[in-house]
Amino acid sequence: MKKELLNHVNALVLAVLYRSLRVLYRDDSRVREEIDGWKNNLSFKLVCGPGGAVLALRRSEHAGVRKLQRAQRAEITMRFKSVEGAFQVLSGQKSIADAYAEHLFTLEGDIYQTMSFVRVVEYAEAYLFPRIWSRRILREVPEKQTGSLRVYAEALLEHAR
Amino acid sequence: MNYYEFINPTKLCSGKGALDNLAYELEMLGACRPMVLSDAMLEKLGTLRQVTEALGEMQIGRVFTDIPRDSGVEVVNRIAREYRDFDCDALVALGGGSVLDTAKGVRLLIAQGADDLLELQGCECIPRGREVPFVAIPTTAGTGSEATAVAVIKNHARNVKMEFISQQLLPDVAILDPRMTLTLPPRITASTGMDTLCHAIEAYSCMQKNPLSDAYATAAVRLVGENLMRVVRFGASKEARTAMANASFLAGAAFSNSMVGVVHANGHALGGVCHIAHGDAMNILLPAGMIFNRRVCRDTYAELLLYLAGPEVYHNTPAAKRADRMIAEVVRLRGRLHRMTGLPVTLKEAGADPALFPEVAKTALNDGAVIVNPRQVTYEAVMRILEACYEGKEPQQGQTPSGKKKAKKRSI
Repeated sequence: MKKELLNHVNALVLAVLYRSLRVLYRDDSRVREEIDGWKNNLSFKLVCGPGGAVLALRRSEHAGVRKLQRAQRAEITMRFKSVEGAFQVLSGQKSIADAYAEHLFTLEGDIYQTMSFVRVVEYAEAYLFPRIWSRRILREVPEKQTGSLRVYAEALLEHAR
Repeated sequence: MNYYEFINPTKLCSGKGALDNLAYELEMLGACRPMVLSDAMLEKLGTLRQVTEALGEMQIGRVFTDIPRDSGVEVVNRIAREYRDFDCDALVALGGGSVLDTAKGVRLLIAQGADDLLELQGCECIPRGREVPFVAIPTTAGTGSEATAVAVIKNHARNVKMEFISQQLLPDVAILDPRMTLTLPPRITASTGMDTLCHAIEAYSCMQKNPLSDAYATAAVRLVGENLMRVVRFGASKEARTAMANASFLAGAAFSNSMVGVVHANGHALGGVCHIAHGDAMNILLPAGMIFNRRVCRDTYAELLLYLAGPEVYHNTPAAKRADRMIAEVVRLRGRLHRMTGLPVTLKEAGADPALFPEVAKTALNDGAVIVNPRQVTYEAVMRILEACYEGKEPQQGQTPSGKKKAKKRSI
């Protein structure tokens, strides 16, 4: 029961994360620069534990990122070892760096290209979590180029494709 | 840290006569037809012959010595093909980091039944495959590759050094025999020794540090502090050679379980883009990397002073100044090595082209080591470090180990 609840929360946060990445691609020059540096159609998958929620996306030339089908193979897959471990990161209790240091996930694919994805997620965390929260988990909180409320509002209106 | 993992299953055979046990160790691993990997220089020096002689009557499947300094994916793939063609059943790697990391890549390919190393990229995602007995015999005391679950292999097509991280990379046996490093010239001894020190310091200060990696790291720092100058001065000392080989193994095991940070990220990038030898890069970058991290690593650097400089210096240094003193001790050690061996202390001396620094910085930012660096690493920060190291602007002029002159602190 608890695992099911965590799965639902993880799925919800992944949906918000995906939409916010699309918003930030438009509104934050650093996110745009990072994503524009990815090779076209580079695909990432974030798997939140066995049987857990999945975010699969690929680089899209104009929109920044687009969703991939869950079953499609991605070039880079970050796979959390447990649903609970993924929840700790997605609920803002731990940063991706903390999760890496604690071996909470494995990585299939090119480490070099993954680092840019990690930076993009850290930028998103700075917007999605309150500053007092992000200061606790991020080593340095990046300056925001637009307001968090605006990112949330645009994400709500974003068509998740 | 709430949770940590530690792995080091490698059997260590260290000290006088360690190599004599090679055939026995292979036999215990179920091997009877090993492939021996090395490089042309070790063949020329006769070090390779000592190893083949140590194999005694054991049949050697193939000897491969065409491994360059910055070995790449293509070499690994080629050796794996030869391993299969010559029907070998084990790997013996004799050499420095390049040879050992190449052997790790070959083992991964054979164990997983793959043909291209690029298919096996990733971190902790490779399951146990076919058993491939693997004995590592380092000929430098620096990389610690014989004790790490990491292989750094160059992707020449993209001009980057790629990291492979998997416990399946760890050798079954590591043989540390002082005879293997006796012919190492003082300059390379110094450079690889500073690589060991860098591994230990970064392992002790990275986000992934844990009680076991700390124990290995501090033991390594102590051995380096006691033996590096000695081994550079008296290269024929088997005792000092063994001590540094042990330090290298300990530091390798430490950073394999706690990772390294900004110094290695920059060093890998400098190696990939500017072709700076890894040990030289570590020697040049270490003080600047420590100054960059000092803001968040004051306590850890202060603790390390005890192991590098000894209890007397530690106790005579006020607690608030121990971190700075630690950095100053590293600078001092580096200066002494520079005077004795000509080891470069600036990127300018090492022949780096500053026009390439933007590319180096971009590459460094994508190195896996930055994720566990205790301080956030940005493009601007890497550029500042590189620029400071180009002309050697670390606090070596104003900051003395005795702390008598007022330290001219620079923030990077």
